[in-house]
Amino acid sequence: MTPAFRRQRALADYTLAALARRRGKNIGLVVIYALVVFVVASALLFSSALRHEADTVLAEAPELIVQNLAMGRHDMIKGDVIDDLAAIRGVTRVEGRLWGYFYDSVNGANYTLMVPLDPDRVLAPGEAMIGEGVPRVRGMFWETAPLFLSRYSGDLVRFDVVERISSESALVSTDLILLNEADFRDFFGLPGGVYTDIAVTVRNSREIETIMSKASALLPEARFITRDDISRTYQKLFSWREGIMVALAAAALLAFAIFAAEKASGLSAEEAREIGILKAVGWNMTDVIAMKLWEGALISAGAFLIGTLAGYLHVFTFQAGLFAPILKGWSVIYPDFALTPRFDGVQIAALFLITVLPYTAATLVPVWRVAAADPDQVMR
Amino acid sequence: MSTRPRLRRSSVAFALLGAGAAGLALAALHAALSKAPGQARMEASAALVRTVGLTDLALFTEARYTRHPAMADLHAPFQDNPMSFEHFPSGTFAPLNRNFGRGTLGFDEAQVIR
Amino acid sequence: MISLQTVTKLYNEGRPGEVRAVDEVSLEIVRDAVTVLKGPSGSGKTTLLSIIGCMARPTSGRVLIDDRLVSGLPERFLTEERRSTFGFVFQRFNLIRGLSVLENVTLPAAPLGQDPREVEARALARLEALDLAGKAAMPVEYLSGGETQRAAIARALINDAPILIADEPTANLDTDLTHRFLDIVGALRDEGRTVIMTSHDPRIWQADHVNAVISMQDGRIVGEYA
Repeated sequence: MTPAFRRQRALADYTLAALARRRGKNIGLVVIYALVVFVVASALLFSSALRHEADTVLAEAPELIVQNLAMGRHDMIKGDVIDDLAAIRGVTRVEGRLWGYFYDSVNGANYTLMVPLDPDRVLAPGEAMIGEGVPRVRGMFWETAPLFLSRYSGDLVRFDVVERISSESALVSTDLILLNEADFRDFFGLPGGVYTDIAVTVRNSREIETIMSKASALLPEARFITRDDISRTYQKLFSWREGIMVALAAAALLAFAIFAAEKASGLSAEEAREIGILKAVGWNMTDVIAMKLWEGALISAGAFLIGTLAGYLHVFTFQAGLFAPILKGWSVIYPDFALTPRFDGVQIAALFLITVLPYTAATLVPVWRVAAADPDQVMR
Repeated sequence: MSTRPRLRRSSVAFALLGAGAAGLALAALHAALSKAPGQARMEASAALVRTVGLTDLALFTEARYTRHPAMADLHAPFQDNPMSFEHFPSGTFAPLNRNFGRGTLGFDEAQVIR
Repeated sequence: MISLQTVTKLYNEGRPGEVRAVDEVSLEIVRDAVTVLKGPSGSGKTTLLSIIGCMARPTSGRVLIDDRLVSGLPERFLTEERRSTFGFVFQRFNLIRGLSVLENVTLPAAPLGQDPREVEARALARLEALDLAGKAAMPVEYLSGGETQRAAIARALINDAPILIADEPTANLDTDLTHRFLDIVGALRDEGRTVIMTSHDPRIWQADHVNAVISMQDGRIVGEYA
């Protein structure tokens, strides 16, 4: 052990002995501080995991969606434009998508009805594949129970459920009902040759701007949505939720800041006298400052570790139970999904910096003044 | 006579902080170990996205409210269910009244048309 | 040898209420002896003691310790000087409340980076010699007046300072304890230490252990005898 190391330990020992004199108050301080860190850490970890999940899952979505607008609102698009779009250089695949919403009056849920694009996934007439949430809200405990949909009083359509989509992909499929194209058109009374919108896949996603400008020359009325637009919307939505959460935490943070400022920076007359004594018995300014740095660092590092760990456990083992209404939002069919634990080193480091540095600095500022004073005041 | 405490205060404090740091390292390890199964799960979802042609998450399934295969209307992500209590932003926190559906299909055999 | 040359200390310099606490004092204090500064309150003896102990800087004049000029050194060098040369026993003792006797006694050694076991052994030996070993773990506020003073002496000596400085050490002690204190001072001198203290207590300046008495009034030296 080098002298420098022993000096730091001795200073830390003194700080801890001094803190131990007001044990209850200081433990309370760490607990409150840890609570604030916990709220912020929960928000950060949850949003980051969800953003990552959304980005990874939607990476396979078509690069471009073309929608027809009528009177400023979404309308059906004619199938003839598929060939026009496919002729644009760089476009590899163009498919008409059929999807729609169905409001289930039984339970107030909204289902998303869709026709799969992939030819290998085509269903036979009268068959359906359903997402994990549909049997849940319908109470279909019987594994092979058929699905009945009622559009109006007295009407009932039956689909045989050939597959329940694995709950692994609940995040994208929980409310899905996949149908055969003919069934879909029949169910919604949709004429042939029109689609809900058109999905365009391109060879090189960097060419998307060029392809969009060519496509908009072809279809001046249409609206183009890129995969990046969608991704950005989700990032914003989750950031917005995270922001609400952090804004709520800000009130707690402010209350804590007042408390901490009083505790840490409002140096009491007694503490000022103690620093005078330390200087009189031979401590210099650096010793006093190093001692106070230990105080700030030990309290804030303790609070950071407790808060961050509790946040991690809360988000990834208890599914963010405490803040779920804020962080997750709600819906009648909410997907039953577990987030993949994600530990973003940069994010944790940032959290460390914003918790430990300001507090440690706050303990220092007033000490500077006192520590620089002549020690002979303790003689008087 | 024993006047020295058995452990120095700093030893206790450093041990506790060390335990916390080890906990954080364990969390990082846990995250690293969960990566593979998580990746498999995400790839399954991504495969479904590809074959069905999905563009959106199924998080908020109310009409035009965020379950919006590619945002059918311009402001779809921030619109809401007609039944919901919507005074921004309270609507996002306050869910619908739980039992507002009829709760039953109420049909008999004769009504099944197919 | 500590040498003061025409040392003056002003408080509130240049403002109304300016106080000339020490006025052109020249003085030599020999090593390995007990020197007492006596005088009524306000005579400047505590201020002079602060200047000797490098706790305060003189407004003018020079202070030399063993022919090294210390007046005018910046604060951090003064701290070094103070730490290596002086041990202080304050009038109000100035132990830190809430900490144990042992923690208080080892306080001056904390920034030195010494082996903590060695420091503790030294402190316990010193407390043993002062009949305080049994109270080492006790918080200082539970000590009696005499015990508090002896704890303060132990703290002043933990870094093995060659010069002990004490400000009115017997102001709060009865006759028995005063004699006991003088015995300790005598023992320290016999160990080869220099003791400098202020006092207006006749029991102190008449004691056998005292080698020199310097009498002060209104910031000036009015008498000096051995």
